Amino acid sequence: MASMNMGMAVNNALALEMERDPNVFLLGEDVGLPGGVLGVTAGLQARFGEKRVLDTPISESAIIGAAVGAAACGLRPVAELMFVDFIGVCLDQLFNQAAKMRYMFGGKAKIPMVLRTCCGAGIGAAAQHSQSLEAWFMHIPGLKVVMPSTPYDAKGLLISAIRDDNPVVFLENKVLYQIEGEVPDEPYTIPIGEADIKREGGDVTMVATGQMVMRALAVAEKMAGEGVSVEVLDPRSLSPLDEEAILKSVKKTHRLVIVHEEVKFAGSGAEIAATVAEKAFDYLDAPVLRVAAPFCPVPFSSKLEAEFVPSEEKITGAVKTVMEG
Amino acid sequence: MRFKKKDLVRLYRNLVRARKFDQAAIRLLGEGKFTSFFHAAYGGEAPGVGGTTFLRQDDYIYAHHRGHGIPHAAGKGADLFSFMAEHCGKITGSCKGITGFHACDPEYGMLGAGGTIGSAFPVSVGWGLAAQKAGKGQVAVCFFGDSSAGRGTMHEGMNMAANWRLPVVWVCENNGMGQFVPIKDAYPLEDIASMAAAYGMPGVVVDGQDVVAVAEAVMAAVERARKGKGPSLVECKCLRFRPHVEGAPDWVHAEVRPAEEIERLKKRDPVTLYRKKLLKQGILTEKELEKIDGEIDAEVQEMERFCETGAYPDPSILQNALYAD
Repeated sequence: MASMNMGMAVNNALALEMERDPNVFLLGEDVGLPGGVLGVTAGLQARFGEKRVLDTPISESAIIGAAVGAAACGLRPVAELMFVDFIGVCLDQLFNQAAKMRYMFGGKAKIPMVLRTCCGAGIGAAAQHSQSLEAWFMHIPGLKVVMPSTPYDAKGLLISAIRDDNPVVFLENKVLYQIEGEVPDEPYTIPIGEADIKREGGDVTMVATGQMVMRALAVAEKMAGEGVSVEVLDPRSLSPLDEEAILKSVKKTHRLVIVHEEVKFAGSGAEIAATVAEKAFDYLDAPVLRVAAPFCPVPFSSKLEAEFVPSEEKITGAVKTVMEG
Repeated sequence: MRFKKKDLVRLYRNLVRARKFDQAAIRLLGEGKFTSFFHAAYGGEAPGVGGTTFLRQDDYIYAHHRGHGIPHAAGKGADLFSFMAEHCGKITGSCKGITGFHACDPEYGMLGAGGTIGSAFPVSVGWGLAAQKAGKGQVAVCFFGDSSAGRGTMHEGMNMAANWRLPVVWVCENNGMGQFVPIKDAYPLEDIASMAAAYGMPGVVVDGQDVVAVAEAVMAAVERARKGKGPSLVECKCLRFRPHVEGAPDWVHAEVRPAEEIERLKKRDPVTLYRKKLLKQGILTEKELEKIDGEIDAEVQEMERFCETGAYPDPSILQNALYAD
């Protein structure tokens, strides 16, 4: 057991899987000696060599496409997209190739690849380096979409993603690169599609993802002091989505608040809310509330950025509202 | 590579198979039995056939959209019956009727067919990476049309493959026409092959109506790639005798291509040219050529029965192939 941040946990998972399986290799911009723009893959090229950790030019289509092609031939590539915001320049390779190939070939192909990328606001990186685009990926049949909120989950989920025979988009919230947590030394897996109850409670279910899990937990702690018991559920993977766990929790608490960093309109919370409305409407004692970013690009100025990312105050407000409902 | 008599006969057989299956596809589409689109290869079969006939079964090919890969599949020795049944939407199709005109045959290295023109380049880089890593001397041959050369993915793919000296051969099938706009109006350069210089790789132009010339040029590039000397670009100047897509007028800008021009182009029919050559060189007699033609006619008839008798897929398979377990 060691204390490490999410970046170190990801690095650790990559190293363990590369050690275990010679078919695992990394490719991306500056992932070699520099360890990527945020240093997540540091040390891996020195340890595993240039043939296992490939530095690429700025060629996102070729990075993802090369991963697709190599995966179709039986390798297990882990491609890094420097920021999720860059997906726009290479989306065809992900949604028309990676996601569809197996289906289009009647099940005759397997695409065991991982696309790692970082997302989220909070470091002053502005409109084109801070987005949360989970819903884009969720909408594509054939992909799995994973989003850890702790170093422990990141390691177990990434190992599962690498061993998975399907294309997995692995979303790392960049603020979480700075938050430490306890991580076991040995390899372990966390099943993709299994939610985790981060805090048990009986009055309100709060479904939160990525960085928002931390804020949800802080709010839950505060609300406990006011006599409100909040259950915090982290889906951990958005596709497949652990509907069963969400419904089970809502049937217990009868109230639901969804918190995410994506813009609210057509975000992942819309899917979760719709699922609960379809399958657990009669259990609800109050309308479902979403706390999410406003419908605008991520602003730069720290004051504006703080307004953009859902705050503990806004989350607290939503919990109080559903309690009154 | 020096071709022996049996090689030249095989090349003829594959060329005639490509021609007759392509013609059958045009007919089946007219009869409503092909339920997809069809972009006939007619007149431009030589690059696909010449570029694949002498490859190994474990080499990878990305077929070009003319003939939907019939010439390439014929040359590679893939199963044309299931390929055609796929176009009829039958469960006996190579992809169970799920994909139609983007058929695959992983057993013969046909692992991709991209509806988004230009998506072939990045995926082929991945095959090249896998081939290089496997160290068995495999190559990836990526066929693409003249218009695909306008995609940024070509730059990314060619650059990356050349930089890593991957065993990839790029084969451009330049029939002089984009969908409706002549290539001379779309590029400032006469030859796509000259773009190879930008990536420090050989680029050659061959007569794409001469199936032997294509085979010689592609195999020279393949042998080079097998030796670890990296990629090459072979541009085949070829023709098409049909419109871009069956059922539409043969537009050149806003005018329909005149019938006299097609008749003029047909003087350079690749099948006729090759027959003449084989006769002149005394490789095959008229009678022997007719025997081969007759055998392929019988194969086409059998294929039609195969397509006819196959069942349509049951709706219950709709989501079966989406994810690997």
